[in-house]
Amino acid sequence: MTAPGYFGRPVVKPPVWTWEVPLYFFVGGMAGMAAVVAAAAYLAAADPGLVRAAVWLAVGGSAVSTVLLVMDLGRPARFLNMLRVFKWRSPMSVGAWTLSAFGAHAGAAALLLEWIGPAAPPAEVVPFLRVLLWLALAGAAVYGAVLATYTGVLIGATVIPAWFSRHRGLPLHFGAAGLGSAAAALVLLGFDEPALVALGAAAAAVETGFGAWIEARRHGAADRALREGRSGWMLRSSGALAGPAALVLWLAGAAPWAAGVFLAGALLGRYGWMEAGRASGRDPEATFAAQQGG
Amino acid sequence: MPGLGTSFGRGGATTAQQDLANADCVLIQGSSMAEAHPVGFRWVTKARERGATVIHVDPRFSRTSAMSDLWVPIRAGGDIAFLGGLVRHVIENDLAFREYVVHYTNAPVILKEEYADAEDLEGLFSGWDAEKGKYDPASWRYEGDDLGRPRKDPSLEHPRCVYRVLERHFARYTPEMVERVAGIPPALFHRVADALVEASGPERTAAICYAVGWTQHSKGVQIIRTAAILQMLLGNVGRPGGGILALRGHASIQGSTDIPTLYDILPGYMPMPKAGAGEETLAGWLDNHRKETGWWCHLEAYAVSLMKAYYGAAATAENDWGWAWLPRVTRDHSHFSYWTEMADGRMEGLFCIGQNPSVGAQNARLERRALAKLKWLVVRDMVEIEPAVFWHPDAPEVRRGELVPEEIDTEVFLLPAAGHVEKEGAFTNTQRMLQWREKAVDPPGDARSDAWFVHQLALRLKAKAEASDDPLDEPLRALDWWYPETPEGEPEMEAVLAEINGWRTDPDEGGDAPHHGARVEGFGELAADGSTACGCWIYSGVYGPDGVNRARKRDPSGPYGHGWGFAWPSDRRILYNRASARPDGRPWSERKALVWWDEEEGRWTGHDVPDFPAEKPPGFEPPEGATGMDAHPGDAPFVMHEDGLGRLFVPAGLEDGPLPTHYEPLESPGRRNPLYRQRENPAARWFRRPDNPFAAPGDPRFPHVLTTYRLTEHHTAGGMSRTLSHLSELQPELFVEISPELADELGVDHGAWVTVATLRGAIEARAMVSRRMRPLTLDGRTVHQVAMPFHWGPAGPNRGDVVNDLIPLSGEPNVTIHESKALTCAVIPGRRPADREYLAWMEETFGDAGES
Amino acid sequence: MAIGDGPAGTNQGEHDYAERGVTVGFFTDPTVCIGCKACEVACKEWNGVPAEEDDTWTGDSYDNTGALGASTWRHVKFLEQPERLGRQVAGPMGLAEAGEEAEDPFRWVFLSDVCKHCEHAGCLEACPTGSIVRTPTGAVYVQDDVCNGCGYCVVSCPFGVIDRRPEPLPGAGGAFKCTFCWDRQSSGRVPACAKACPTESIRFGPLDELREEAAGRVGELHARGVEDAAVYDPRDTSVGGTHAISLLLGDPEPWGQPPRPEVPTVRLAAAWTSAIATAAAAIAATFAAFLLA
Ligand SMILES: Nc1nc2c(c(=O)[nH]1)N[C@H]1C(S)=C(S)[C@@H](COP(=O)(O)OP(=O)(O)OC[C@H]3O[C@@H](n4cnc5c(=O)[nH]c(N)nc54)[C@H](O)[C@@H]3O)O[C@H]1N2
Ligand SMILES: Nc1nc2c(c(=O)[nH]1)N[C@H]1C(S)=C(S)[C@@H](COP(=O)(O)OP(=O)(O)OC[C@H]3O[C@@H](n4cnc5c(=O)[nH]c(N)nc54)[C@H](O)[C@@H]3O)O[C@H]1N2
Ligand code: SF4
Ligand code: SF4
Ligand code: SF4
Ligand code: SF4
Ligand code: SF4
Ligand SMILES: [Mo]
Repeated sequence: MTAPGYFGRPVVKPPVWTWEVPLYFFVGGMAGMAAVVAAAAYLAAADPGLVRAAVWLAVGGSAVSTVLLVMDLGRPARFLNMLRVFKWRSPMSVGAWTLSAFGAHAGAAALLLEWIGPAAPPAEVVPFLRVLLWLALAGAAVYGAVLATYTGVLIGATVIPAWFSRHRGLPLHFGAAGLGSAAAALVLLGFDEPALVALGAAAAAVETGFGAWIEARRHGAADRALREGRSGWMLRSSGALAGPAALVLWLAGAAPWAAGVFLAGALLGRYGWMEAGRASGRDPEATFAAQQGG
Repeated sequence: MPGLGTSFGRGGATTAQQDLANADCVLIQGSSMAEAHPVGFRWVTKARERGATVIHVDPRFSRTSAMSDLWVPIRAGGDIAFLGGLVRHVIENDLAFREYVVHYTNAPVILKEEYADAEDLEGLFSGWDAEKGKYDPASWRYEGDDLGRPRKDPSLEHPRCVYRVLERHFARYTPEMVERVAGIPPALFHRVADALVEASGPERTAAICYAVGWTQHSKGVQIIRTAAILQMLLGNVGRPGGGILALRGHASIQGSTDIPTLYDILPGYMPMPKAGAGEETLAGWLDNHRKETGWWCHLEAYAVSLMKAYYGAAATAENDWGWAWLPRVTRDHSHFSYWTEMADGRMEGLFCIGQNPSVGAQNARLERRALAKLKWLVVRDMVEIEPAVFWHPDAPEVRRGELVPEEIDTEVFLLPAAGHVEKEGAFTNTQRMLQWREKAVDPPGDARSDAWFVHQLALRLKAKAEASDDPLDEPLRALDWWYPETPEGEPEMEAVLAEINGWRTDPDEGGDAPHHGARVEGFGELAADGSTACGCWIYSGVYGPDGVNRARKRDPSGPYGHGWGFAWPSDRRILYNRASARPDGRPWSERKALVWWDEEEGRWTGHDVPDFPAEKPPGFEPPEGATGMDAHPGDAPFVMHEDGLGRLFVPAGLEDGPLPTHYEPLESPGRRNPLYRQRENPAARWFRRPDNPFAAPGDPRFPHVLTTYRLTEHHTAGGMSRTLSHLSELQPELFVEISPELADELGVDHGAWVTVATLRGAIEARAMVSRRMRPLTLDGRTVHQVAMPFHWGPAGPNRGDVVNDLIPLSGEPNVTIHESKALTCAVIPGRRPADREYLAWMEETFGDAGES
Repeated sequence: MAIGDGPAGTNQGEHDYAERGVTVGFFTDPTVCIGCKACEVACKEWNGVPAEEDDTWTGDSYDNTGALGASTWRHVKFLEQPERLGRQVAGPMGLAEAGEEAEDPFRWVFLSDVCKHCEHAGCLEACPTGSIVRTPTGAVYVQDDVCNGCGYCVVSCPFGVIDRRPEPLPGAGGAFKCTFCWDRQSSGRVPACAKACPTESIRFGPLDELREEAAGRVGELHARGVEDAAVYDPRDTSVGGTHAISLLLGDPEPWGQPPRPEVPTVRLAAAWTSAIATAAAAIAATFAAFLLA
């Protein structure tokens, strides 16, 4: 019996999270960054249609995210207990509050936008409404940006070696993926602003860098789940899609193709990280290696 | 337990588990105490923490071995050779505790000219009758036939004195011989020998613990005898931290030999009268069993008091105290004898109460099939155990086509029993201590206590008897059945305890029940004139006239736990404790002081209740022709014996010899016994029959030694553990422990299925490959041992094959116990054939039931 | 106080630690553990913990429990190792030091594992609902009526203790672990596992006393030749020590214990910095993209 550790059994517990959570990471990230795009586009007085689409993407995304989170709970009926306390040391708590705040602001922004636009309110209240709208958009943008990046903290600050060994890089990675996904989604909705292309390319560039960093700075057994097995395969191919592949297509001007490829990569990537968490959590040698200062 | 009884006088552990903490060395052999007696093992742990050496001699490296300083792997069945080697070591090197041996044992006693030892007769003793297959023990008696006042040679020089006979008898048990027979290398042997010797003498003591790893052999009683001899030679009996602790089994198994569920003894170890032995009258029985000298001179008082307890006013001097009403033993009625009769269709009905013979009993296939021959079967249990479903389509015999449910006439009644927390009463634990249990909860549904069942049954039987005038019913009519009832119709258990304690029979003397007088203080008050009644003399004193139920006491004080429960006799915690003092009455040493003679007070005193006449001075010399206890001098600690001496050599009371002799197990891996021409115990019972075959010695088809044991996680046949998820999940499957070496030979991996087979049956189990099992070298050749826990059966939520399907019926000569701890088997990779293929496979694999 | 002192010992008697708010702990000593699993069973019985769903035979020595989890709050580990246990002579496998012909050494050791009730508890800090709290005696306690089963504590325990209970077991969906028998403690009783332990391998009492006891025990064992005995109580890492300390023989790894456990929150600062920076950068970049375009 040469199994590592105690009969080869895990030292830490692998995540119990199911398919909803990676999907939430994806949708939440996209929605969050969509709000940022909406705010910027609004400020830059860009195509009102784009602003409107971005806002609705944010609103819809926050709704879906909430549903996914509730579905994943062991006791969904107790979802509201998430807002029972605020614990800044618990990324899960910060995330729950962020999602709520984001949903509220994005929702408000959407309503104001619809009112000011089609509903054509009395002229005297419009300036006042525009201020409210601007505040809502700004809030949504800030909370959205956090929503897209905190998930990196969420899994980075755990005991799962493959995750915590990347706790610095993950928020950047998740943020870039969120921003890229938002841009890509809007491109696919038919908006071909150069700004969106630029953002998409930038995100793909960051992803390319991140992928390179993962491959370059290895931690041996500690994070082998990022390279080996099913999770390794998922992460590497997702990295190739959202990174170099998308980048080339963006630069080549094949925007819709770039957008599609990036979204696929980003989605696959979220599942890849979850899978890597499971594999790494199950692997006692990963925990040992990580703690022998790997 | 004749092993202890014939050596020391009483069939019970000589010491208490708490006292193990005072030992300087604890030898655990024939028991996995940490696994089977985990709570008692705390005292061994405590001793070890205090610096004692703990030794475990066992075929398996068990959880007990893990906690020991020294593990000695032994070939199952090799214990007498090993212990005999230690006895020889002590004698040859003159390491015995001389003063103790000379004064307190029969070492100086001179034997008859006619006596011939196994040494001279190749493993037999004088008096062997080949036709009868029995010994005539006449030649074993002391010279002059007087067991009360034997002739002695205190110098131990006389060639026929017990000590010299012992020396000759064990002369061939050399370390080399120990290795050949038991597979124990001399290096390990000497470790044990040195540890024991170092821990003995006036300043130090060693204790021995055993259980069924010793008793379940065709020579079990003699294994225990060898330990008794060793402990007496080392002066370790009756002293703190010494003695022999028999670890008993079921919570009150000691109680069920004190007040026996056995067919051949009466309460308090009085023999059951035999037919055709001149025991039709009490006088005739007394002639056979009363001892002129020593404690058994009181036999008549105990017997008459028992009759008065059974039959009350109906027992009178005129009708010989109703002696004629007692049943007589006509032949062997032990478990296997009546079960084989059942198998042959010569038994009508069976009450199966608190037992699961379909799993726990040997040759379980035979025993399950036998149930189909009954007219009726009553099973009282807390769960639906195997005997209650032997007819079920799931039952192995039915699936194999050996039994056809439609053709079984047995009427089966399953009656729900209350468990131990659902009723009150007393347990007598392994150290002879009665502990009262309160009822914690009501039994569920219709479940009732066994006392309720017996009580209600008795009332109905008596009613029938009253209605008839058949003289055969006279004993029932005479039966004094008076117990007050609780509202639920349960008999008052304390009233039963009072009867066991004993009372004056004359109601006029007052007392707490309508038809009898005040309770007695103890057995000292019991009389032979019918003025007292007592259900079990050794328990007398547990519930005396002060109305205090001592079994209920829970305030321990002092190092021996007095004040917690009540230990028979008379709350003595360490038996024969007179031996803890020198002949002159002073303690052997301050460190090991227990009881001593107080000159001022003129009585024995100390930390324990003296197991000796309180006022008999150490220097007392019996006057000529004195009888009873007066015939014992002041330095004779073993008061039950005629001469008050511990018996290194047993002149009477054993069926298979006065001294222990190594015999091979009935099924053994070797062709011959390395020590003698006589291979097996000559007096052993084989129960040989077509459905109970034995493999010939050294049968190549069965090369491995098989032994069986318990897991902490389960209890015996599993009715109390396989049915409980919290226990069941801890050991969910049957496995067989085998060494990596054997696994290689067989080509099986850890965790793989293997089939273990004997001529009686074949079962499947998972291979547990571990270095905890080690191959042994016997007589130059390698022998593998395999071990299996026996807790699984074919019914209930957690099922498995029945290990006892492998084991033959057999009987040790003195107590007819089976040999479940040493036999031979085959280990075959893969699962056994299922259902209907099973029999065919057995047939073609082992066709000729190779009887030897 | 020694083994078998009965009511005199902290393991059997009544106490008032809860009233006095004394920080209590466990000290588990494998060198007196007989592997009887009474602690496991006592825990399940007292706390009404269901049997595990999967009760298949593992073949891992005598351990069919496998690991601590939502339905196993005490777990007795069984190690068969090619090592000596001090001066123990394990048959032919232990004669070595006497120079007699011997096999490789062997020992069989048992350890009863439990929630460590960490000084800095990852589970407690991670819990978003405030379901996990600290009791007046310093234990880490899950309030089942608050837990919503988010599962974040599961990946935040450095010792792999707490877990979410699967269907169809009672209480499924919630996270469970050792309660340190708070219900018993608050009424002056000793935790069920310690009370049931026949050899007092599980010692219960004030934490500081137990820490001293443990140190003393290690010295004792070294003197007896058990050189590889050491206290396992990671105080030099961010966990800051545990309230359930134990004694290990040899390295922690074979016992399935992390050699240098860290509480996950030590990585918060760095991770949040990166997150905020990324968020800011994303906002800046987006605004730049649109304003410049
Ligand atoms: N947990 C638990 N405790 C129990 C029981 C139970 O079923 N489960 N049963 C109770 C009962 S009824 C009884 S009788 C007792 C029995 O208590 P024990 O006798 O201690 O129990 P066993 O495991 O049957 O056998 C003890 C040891 O004998 C060893 N052995 C086998 N053959 C030999 C041999 O030839 N020589 C020597 N020296 N050793 C040998 C076995 O390997 C085993 O380790 O336990 C009681 N306590
Ligand atoms: N191969 C092998 N065979 C062995 C042994 C061995 O070591 N090896 N050991 C032998 C020994 S020592 C023993 S003692 C036997 C044990 O064998 P058994 O005594 O036949 O097996 P148990 O399971 O103890 O049976 C006791 C039954 O009584 C029930 N019970 C418990 N309490 C009560 C009660 O208060 N009233 C009633 N009516 N029922 C109750 C339980 O549910 C259980 O079904 O096994 C023997 N068989
Ligand atoms: S089961 Fe009962 S009798 Fe047996 S060791 Fe445990 S407590 Fe003692
Ligand atoms: S061991 Fe794990 S579950 Fe227990 S307190 Fe520490 S972090 Fe929480
Ligand atoms: S699962 Fe329950 S206990 Fe664990 S973190 Fe979530 S809410 Fe807290
Ligand atoms: S303290 Fe209580 S809950 Fe914790 S393991 Fe012991 S018995 Fe179980
Ligand atoms: S109860 Fe005590 S001795 Fe038994 S396994 Fe648990 S810790 Fe070890
Ligand atoms: Mo037994």
